[in-house]
Amino acid sequence: MVANHTGTVNRRTLLKGVGAGGLAATAGCLGLGGGGGAVTIGQPAALTGQWDFLQPGVSKATDVAVQQINDAGLLDGRELAIERRDTAVEPQEARTVVTQLLENDDAVALLGLFSSELNPLYDFIQDQATPVITPWPGSNFLDTRGGDHGTPEDVSDDEWIWRTVISDTVHTAGAALRALDEDHDTVGIINGNTEGARSWVNGFRNAYEANDGTVAEQVEVSQGSSSYQSALDRLFESDFSAFAVSLPLEDATTLMSDWADGGYGRQPILSDPLAQQDLIDAVGEPLNGAWAASPGESGPNYSAFESAYQAGEGDAEINAWTAPAWDATIVTALAIERAGEATAEAVEQNLGPVSRGPGTEVADFTEGKEALANGDEINYQGAATDVSFTQFGNVLGSVVINQVQDQEFTQIDTITAQELQEFVPEGEY
Amino acid sequence: MGLVQNVIFGLVQGSYIAIAAIGFTMIYGIVNMINFAYGEYLTIGAFVGFVAATALPLPLPAAVLVAMAGAGVVSLLLAKAFFTPINHTGPVPMLLTSIGLGLVLRNVIRLGAGRSARRFDVDTVTYQFRGIPEVPIGPVDLLGDFFVTSEHLVVIGSALVVFLALHALLTRTDVGIAMRAMSDDVDLARVRGIDTQLIRNAVWVLAGMLAGLAGVLLGVQTNVSVSTGFSQILQILAAAILGGAGSPYGAIAGAYVIGLVLALSTAFLPASMTGVSSAMAFLVLVLVLLVKPSGIAGQEVREA
Repeated sequence: MVANHTGTVNRRTLLKGVGAGGLAATAGCLGLGGGGGAVTIGQPAALTGQWDFLQPGVSKATDVAVQQINDAGLLDGRELAIERRDTAVEPQEARTVVTQLLENDDAVALLGLFSSELNPLYDFIQDQATPVITPWPGSNFLDTRGGDHGTPEDVSDDEWIWRTVISDTVHTAGAALRALDEDHDTVGIINGNTEGARSWVNGFRNAYEANDGTVAEQVEVSQGSSSYQSALDRLFESDFSAFAVSLPLEDATTLMSDWADGGYGRQPILSDPLAQQDLIDAVGEPLNGAWAASPGESGPNYSAFESAYQAGEGDAEINAWTAPAWDATIVTALAIERAGEATAEAVEQNLGPVSRGPGTEVADFTEGKEALANGDEINYQGAATDVSFTQFGNVLGSVVINQVQDQEFTQIDTITAQELQEFVPEGEY
Repeated sequence: MGLVQNVIFGLVQGSYIAIAAIGFTMIYGIVNMINFAYGEYLTIGAFVGFVAATALPLPLPAAVLVAMAGAGVVSLLLAKAFFTPINHTGPVPMLLTSIGLGLVLRNVIRLGAGRSARRFDVDTVTYQFRGIPEVPIGPVDLLGDFFVTSEHLVVIGSALVVFLALHALLTRTDVGIAMRAMSDDVDLARVRGIDTQLIRNAVWVLAGMLAGLAGVLLGVQTNVSVSTGFSQILQILAAAILGGAGSPYGAIAGAYVIGLVLALSTAFLPASMTGVSSAMAFLVLVLVLLVKPSGIAGQEVREA
């Protein structure tokens, strides 16, 4: 019997075929796993705003890491694509950007968001059920929030936020210990009125007072002011030997210039974002001797990161968030590789297993991919820290002290993660 | 340190707010618009001055003149391009246009100038006054140790020069007298033969020049960045309203009230409240307007 074909295709069959083909073609983009399309990771970024001076190093580290991942081949040849959108570190803008990245760009994970954005958007992030692996936030608000609570397979108790930079609780403890070691048993504090600026101060103050230091006076200022002289005058009425400053760079430039002009003297202790050459260039010689405690480069594979970074295009300087950005990108790609699929839930379930479990220690994505292909479990050893996520999605690392000497920051001391762990035991960060 | 020191800080802050507020309020008085893009004119002036001082490089006084000229020209060109064509539509479209223009200008400056804050390379001399006998007045000391920097003196001195020049302009020149006439009644000024468009152009240029000067002074005192002017616009607006919108002399008074309130509230509020000193300036604004709705030097509101 001859089939009843006339050279035309039934319209319903055609629609089915087109639909199936379209679904197959877009499966990768939709995160349905296993398809051949690019896997998109979103990067909410500080391209503008008060913290934008830190973004170039983070963007470059991310791009170099993505290039390395794509050279090795993600999920047997799928491209990893970064979609970067500007939040200006404004919570409302960040909310919009997150929605765009998830809804429009189909991102399966996010590699960004600052404390100033994460804290007010915490519930919103939970609703998105997409992992945020961020190199930025120090906020102690996150010390006992985030991560998978140690149960990778069960996402019902997950809090979807992971950070590859040490908490303010950790590195401000380093600053406090250093101040006390220098016999500054009484300090003044001046800080901005945003979440990030306050978080640094809270961490510093808690650690400092817990170790018998005394805060003589704390003055909070409105960021964006054209003058901080009255606030400085207020602060320096009190008796102390050192003062801690927590402000964004632009405001700190004004404040420390006012401080220099006023000849107030005493020992400045800077928050970690202020370890920038621009600050020295603006304030000049009076800043000599000032120091900042910053997240250290205690990852076992910092040198591998550094050489890859320096070989990459662009001249952005490395800052304290650059290596954590590298780690965030690599560990996320390893989670996708271990899952064998690119979905938000798969990434969430695999971030713990590739970072903290027993298994072959790997230094980069290529090594991790090979080990996973051999059926081994892996443990990513990062650049900024060893990236062993706690149950709350945090990491522990060393703190370095950078001091202004001869008009540039020089690393003069390192406080190891082990030393700090005595002051900030796991479960508190 | 104490009251005298903070009064000095307040006078410095009031001085550059006053210079900018004069231009802002003259636009309101003569062109009849609130120009929210005016803060960006300060930024433009600061950057023009910075480039003149570093790239050319010119000495600071010459860079100031270049900044004033540059900002004056930009102000006139922007007015011709965006405000004059819709001048007949009333104050609300003009206000909205200025807000939009401000956003555009800020982002264009950001694209061109990048992210970093810059500092003018000026040598600061600090004059210390020590051992002044203290004169207790209530809970505070009137005198005592205090300091003044060369930047403080430049800012305050520049403001005094501007005030004297403004007074001479408004009282001794035909252009200034025409400005006052237009501010009082533009229709009457026109029938009396005043070229109102020419005077409006003069106001745009003058306001831009004042913004340029204020921008450079701010840059010298703080730093030059994309947000240099934008961060000042609310204080400029407050000074103009407090003084009596449209009144240059009132704007000067309003600016010094704002500057002193900012400095003194930071100094004497409880430590936990020092972050809200800018709110105190606006609280004073509201209190003054409750007592005198037309502002310090504004004309009484006439019933229709």
